[in-house]
Amino acid sequence: MSTIDTLKAAFEASLTPTPSVISIGLAIVLLIPIILHFIFSATTPYTTLPSVLLVGPSGAGKTALLTLFERGPLYHNNNPAVPTPVAETHTSQTPSTVELAVSTDRPTTTYRTDLDATGATAKKFLLIDTPGHPKLRRHALAHLASPSATITPSLLVSPAAQKGEGAETSKSKLKALVFLVDAAALADTDSAALSSTAEYLYDVLLTLQRRFLRRSGSRAPSNVPVLVAANKLDLFTALPAALVKSQLEAELSRIRKTRSKGLLDSGEADGEVVGGEEGEGWLGAVGSDKFSFKEMVEFDIEVEVIGGNVVGDGPGADKWWKWIGERI
Amino acid sequence: MLDAFEIISTSGVVLWSRTYAPVSPSVVDNFISDVFIEEKSTVAGAKDGASATVNPPYKHEQHSLRWTFSKELGIIFVAVYRSLLHLPWIDKLVDNIKAIFVSLYGDQLKKPNTMIVECVKFDEYFDQQLQELEQGSGKPDARAFIVEEISGTGEDGPPLSFSLAHNQKAQTNPSAESSPTATPNASRPATPGASHLLVAKAGPGGKLSRRARKIQNSPSAPVSSGDEATARKGKPAKTVKRGRKWDADGLADERDDVQLDYSIPAVTSDSEAEAGARPAAVEEVDASTWGSRTKGKFVLRDLGDEVHSILADADAKNAAAKTDFQSGIVGSSLSAIGGLFRNVVGGKVLTKQDLEKAMKGMEEHLLKKNVAREAAVRLCEGVEMELVGVKTGNFESINSRIQKAMEASLTRMLTPTSSLDLLREIDSITSPPAASLRKARPYVISIVGVNGVGKSTNLSKICFFLLQNQYKVLIAAGDTFRSGAVEQLAVHVRNLKELTAREGGKVELYQKGYGKDAAAVAKDAVAFAAQEGFDVVLIDTAGRRHNDQRLMSSLEKFAKFAQPDKILMVGEALVGTDSVAQARNFNAAFGSGRSLDGFIISKCDTVGDMVGTLVSIVHATNVPVLFVGVGQHYSDLRNFSVKWAVEKLLSST
Ligand SMILES: Nc1nc2c(ncn2[C@@H]2O[C@H](COP(=O)(O)OP(=O)(O)OP(=O)(O)O)[C@@H](O)[C@H]2O)c(=O)[nH]1
Ligand SMILES: [Mg+2]
Repeated sequence: MSTIDTLKAAFEASLTPTPSVISIGLAIVLLIPIILHFIFSATTPYTTLPSVLLVGPSGAGKTALLTLFERGPLYHNNNPAVPTPVAETHTSQTPSTVELAVSTDRPTTTYRTDLDATGATAKKFLLIDTPGHPKLRRHALAHLASPSATITPSLLVSPAAQKGEGAETSKSKLKALVFLVDAAALADTDSAALSSTAEYLYDVLLTLQRRFLRRSGSRAPSNVPVLVAANKLDLFTALPAALVKSQLEAELSRIRKTRSKGLLDSGEADGEVVGGEEGEGWLGAVGSDKFSFKEMVEFDIEVEVIGGNVVGDGPGADKWWKWIGERI
Repeated sequence: MLDAFEIISTSGVVLWSRTYAPVSPSVVDNFISDVFIEEKSTVAGAKDGASATVNPPYKHEQHSLRWTFSKELGIIFVAVYRSLLHLPWIDKLVDNIKAIFVSLYGDQLKKPNTMIVECVKFDEYFDQQLQELEQGSGKPDARAFIVEEISGTGEDGPPLSFSLAHNQKAQTNPSAESSPTATPNASRPATPGASHLLVAKAGPGGKLSRRARKIQNSPSAPVSSGDEATARKGKPAKTVKRGRKWDADGLADERDDVQLDYSIPAVTSDSEAEAGARPAAVEEVDASTWGSRTKGKFVLRDLGDEVHSILADADAKNAAAKTDFQSGIVGSSLSAIGGLFRNVVGGKVLTKQDLEKAMKGMEEHLLKKNVAREAAVRLCEGVEMELVGVKTGNFESINSRIQKAMEASLTRMLTPTSSLDLLREIDSITSPPAASLRKARPYVISIVGVNGVGKSTNLSKICFFLLQNQYKVLIAAGDTFRSGAVEQLAVHVRNLKELTAREGGKVELYQKGYGKDAAAVAKDAVAFAAQEGFDVVLIDTAGRRHNDQRLMSSLEKFAKFAQPDKILMVGEALVGTDSVAQARNFNAAFGSGRSLDGFIISKCDTVGDMVGTLVSIVHATNVPVLFVGVGQHYSDLRNFSVKWAVEKLLSST
């Protein structure tokens, strides 16, 4: 009996509008959203590590570079000057992200020293490798296109690859973009390498340009700098960086010209002006005949071409690392 | 014999590999892009989890590849061997290796933001499996391999000497214990000869992280067991190679420093013996009898037990998953409610049942958009495959997830592997770069298709576009069959001349009347164009039904004679189920070395959102759509935009 009585009493008390009941009720009402918020924010950790995106055509050596930066070079026993292939790589199907650190206290010259001394002064960042196969480029481009400063590495992945939680839902501020090209393949004039590489670079630069033009308000983020990394300079057939630059510029001018004369895309109505508005469809400075990377400064995009190599004997990847380090 | 075995992550990093004979990386690269990215293999969906028996073997030049795939972890297991060989155990090997690797390193693979997987020790497991399966396959087979290997030894000269040099080095600084020592000189029974000597080159020492290497070099680390029953010659050499853990009689480590020291002098003689023994294949075979030493047996049995329990576990798990699936339908009411909640809030792990209904809806949707059933089923199966086991995002419903995945699938399917910039391509042919050896010549485009789809109209549209860009175009009347065809083209040419008179282009008609061989006319037209300095030749062809054997077979000769740079097929957006067969037959009609280069889809303005034909034909042929026709005027030709098509296909009205 008494238990029922006490229950009854408690029930009655809870329905009587006394100050204590009201305050408890209020507390519950106010706390629930907060608790819910914590539950959800706990499942989606928000890391603010900046990120650097690796793009480029298939076979340029993006994945190879990523593994080099992550693992450091291994030296062959007989010849300590030549790093052995870091890890073998094959065509990538999904992007991948690794966390790296660049030290900030002393002028960094090599990633090797950074790897050894990942001290408190090190700055961490995410390096994101993307697949270069033409059918899989869309993810990388879609992300560059979004005007927000952040990218979500996991969304670069095809939807299936997102599993579990953790870092996959985190956002990250895009700080720089490295466009890797295979300088040895470019040297072969009869292959389609030059035109296909330039086409990808064209799409990347145009996307960045549009992103700049569409930025909203003054709070808008500054644009990302682009490093065109001429890879495989260890091969004697490879073009030197200066030539890679001029060849790409020439090819980009050609693409720009034919694109402006090309057919409309399906879905674009006739009325739409193709390239009229703020040079939306025209890469670089309007009215210039020969494209040069300098034109991109107008859109707050700094483009630099630096040569190097991932495997073999050559200038190595130190300069690229330095470039990245300066922009984190 | 096996040439190589690789374990590759979908992000493109080789996690573990073993090479017995050099295989060009392009073999595996092609395999990945053909099977996984372009999905050229006929059955999509036979992908995840399916054992290597089910997955069709991939052939590239003289190599065959057997493979399996773990979707959950994103890793591919692939065995490469010569197509000539018959290796009955290879499927089993691939499957078992997958089970073992996943159970050993699954956790490491799930770590975010790193690509490093430390799997130095995996060598032992691999050797154990290989040995076990090879033995299981019976004596006759084994003998066959020996013969194979011996014949291979001759060609593989250089790697052999490399590996010898390698051994030499190991002797010169034994104290250093650098990676050569650690290199697993794994070898298998019944395969003496070249294969195990080549291993040195591919040992993991060269490609593992430094940390991994440290571990490998540190005294306690078990270095790969070259298995015993094999043809390695000197016993002392084995001791060195095996490292510490399993010394004589299977006792664990400790005393090894002493052991190692005392074995060193013997090494030299061994490797000399090896050099001497090289030409003597007979001795190699003999050597396999040495394998009966007890030492190694212990090791192998221990490892074997572990492997077997792993495999049994994996089997059990598979079986459990199956029963789970059944009992899951009954499901406790609590989890059902939780599931409903998660449906709304997101964060739900998708199961096959969850997806089933929604996938049916998606399939219906695609069918309504005029996608051929075959293609719709393939797309849906692919998406379902992709989504099982995936967790939905916060506040994401199953349907929106499916929508997203389907969008990605469609985009991947429709996006061409190489983009086409027609004008630039024409320029590069008609005025090649100075450095190249090619001679300038006219660019040749020919247009094929069934009757009445609008071949001539679309040809004229392309011509109009080219004329606007000041090209000199020759139109060849290749339809020498249907009466009135030539006259129809003449009308088009006259119109085009008028329309573009002030733009500066030039267009002429090349015709030889009716009844002539179309291939010969086309060939003459190209020669004429080269002479007269035309930039582009557009060849019209007679419309033909795709199941008309006689006319279809003449296409092969046509392609040979005219040597077109581009063969474009015109297809109608209207056709329904026939589209797949049409596209397939045309794609196959040009002989073995040639296929279609692209499609022009006409009459897209008449179908609204029902652009499913696009999907059907790309599904059937893997040939991209280049242009779409959107009206009656010469200017109504558009570049095909993947984004546009995908939006239309997924729009819900
Ligand atoms: N000689 C030489 N080869 C290199 C160099 N960098 C990379 N490679 C090789 O190039 C090949 C392709 O490298 P990947 O890193 O897989 O190429 P990727 O850019 O990731 O290609 P996708 O993943 O298909 O986009 C590998 O076989 C590398 O070993 C280099 O500096 N010199
Ligand atoms: Mg890659």
